Amino acid sequence: MNWMIFSPEICCLATALVFLFLSMAPVDSRRDYIVAIALTGVAVCASLAGIHAQGELFHGTYRIDLFSQVFKSMLLMGLFLVVVISSGLNGIERRYHPEFYMLLTICTLALMMLVSAVHILTLYVALELSSYSLYILVFLRKGRDQGTSSGMKFFLIGASASATMLFGLALLYGATNAAYFRVLIEVIPGVIHQPEVILGLALALCGFFFKMAVFPFHFWAPDVYEGAAHQVAAYISTASKVAVIAVLLRMAALTGGASTHLVHFLAILAIISMTVGNLTAIAQKDLKRLLAFSSIAHAGYVLVGILCISPQGNTSAIFYALTVLLLKFTCFLVVVQVAFDGENIEIDRLAGLHRRSPIMALALMTALFGLAGIPPTIGFTGKLLIFTAAMEKGYFALVLIAMFNVVISLYYYLLVVRAAYLLEPAEGEGALAPMPGAGILAGTLVAAIVAIGIYPTPILELIRAAAMALG
Amino acid sequence: MIVPYSQVLVLAGLLFLMGMFCLLSRRNLIMMVLGLEIMLNASAVAFVGAALRWQHLDGQAVAIFIIAVAAAEVSIGLGLIVWIYRRTGTVDAGCIESDACRID
Repeated sequence: MNWMIFSPEICCLATALVFLFLSMAPVDSRRDYIVAIALTGVAVCASLAGIHAQGELFHGTYRIDLFSQVFKSMLLMGLFLVVVISSGLNGIERRYHPEFYMLLTICTLALMMLVSAVHILTLYVALELSSYSLYILVFLRKGRDQGTSSGMKFFLIGASASATMLFGLALLYGATNAAYFRVLIEVIPGVIHQPEVILGLALALCGFFFKMAVFPFHFWAPDVYEGAAHQVAAYISTASKVAVIAVLLRMAALTGGASTHLVHFLAILAIISMTVGNLTAIAQKDLKRLLAFSSIAHAGYVLVGILCISPQGNTSAIFYALTVLLLKFTCFLVVVQVAFDGENIEIDRLAGLHRRSPIMALALMTALFGLAGIPPTIGFTGKLLIFTAAMEKGYFALVLIAMFNVVISLYYYLLVVRAAYLLEPAEGEGALAPMPGAGILAGTLVAAIVAIGIYPTPILELIRAAAMALG
Repeated sequence: MIVPYSQVLVLAGLLFLMGMFCLLSRRNLIMMVLGLEIMLNASAVAFVGAALRWQHLDGQAVAIFIIAVAAAEVSIGLGLIVWIYRRTGTVDAGCIESDACRID
């Protein structure tokens, strides 16, 4: 067995073990932070070095190809970025800091296994492992009111969604006698018109819709984003979303585009998610709730790419995963800096951000424009790819509705930008004192968002090859 | 095979619906976690039935894993319930949601 191709996962597991031991040592937040940055940095390097690795492990239940490796690099970069903004970590009690890093790395490990899983069993175990770590992470929020009720809601909805998914997988297995995805991919198009196969697929997809916060499984998202610590919310909205996009692509590829029912089902969910997410976001006062509803809307856009079930659609969905990762993380970077005490922030508290910290205001503006899809940001390129893929398949109405939604979303993104740029700062609000290195990080992210937006070709080539590996 | 697959499927489906009903109708957190367990076990029954239908061991393996994962889920769920009880003094989901039965 070739352990070299498993090295990113091993790095992640080793990091988790280190923090398991550190959690038993005396508390020292500074030490934990530095160790976490170093170890996750190593893991990112390992995943980038192994991006062209190929092979199968564990009796063919675990597939390593360009598709999975691209996603693993994105996941580890997400983990690394979230660890970087954890230097203050004031939303979580000091004695739980090693546990925070441990659960974060275990969750990333599970998500990495999720994108490589090609067997029902690996898929289920990886999904459960990642969910369980996230349940606890949400509960770790300091203060008795914040984490409890949202964590409870997250746990109950999450566990019931994964139970539903499992029942769907059982129906699929019962109908096809196939547990490997490569066998399912051959069998399913032939039996897709049996009701139990359609029901099984739809139920199996439910588990992932929950993780991605697609309507009707989106109720947890605003509460959890509000109730969890900023860093945890940043992780849920970036890394966790990226992994789910990968799994949804694999699941959608199973049908081979043979079922119009499934496409219609996905299209309806996409339309409702976009519309509900965008319309509800307009009414939000809390910045994190607003970001939660915007992720619901973005889940709808990604679904449009996924339901094309064509190489162009897959490419656009993978590219959009990268887009969401960069843009959402930049928003949360600003949230963490403005609310350094770990409390939730209202949009009004951003007033005068351009005076208090010009670089943070610039980062926020670029990220929000990116989310709204304004050129020359990466967000525009991502939306363009998705809409052209859908147009090629002839889903004109779907694209039109998505376009309307983009216009609606522009309104509330601009409200936030207005607060940051046009309102005067409140009395007594001096210059923002961000954590060391935050300015450089924000500058790098802004540069990346604009640079990939203007010249996406090299990354697009890589992603196109990855989409081909999906098969 | 003594029991036809369709009947196993009916049993599993009924168990699943019962678990979901328990989850949705109860307000006590412990009973809700119990409902989740029933849903998971319904899937395990369906997997074992399918394994018997195809004379294929993969389904049995999945069922064993489901039992292990369900145990992990209960331990996490009960741990969280204990944590909630220490913080709020209640295990009633409605109370925690609305702050209605605060103790302090």
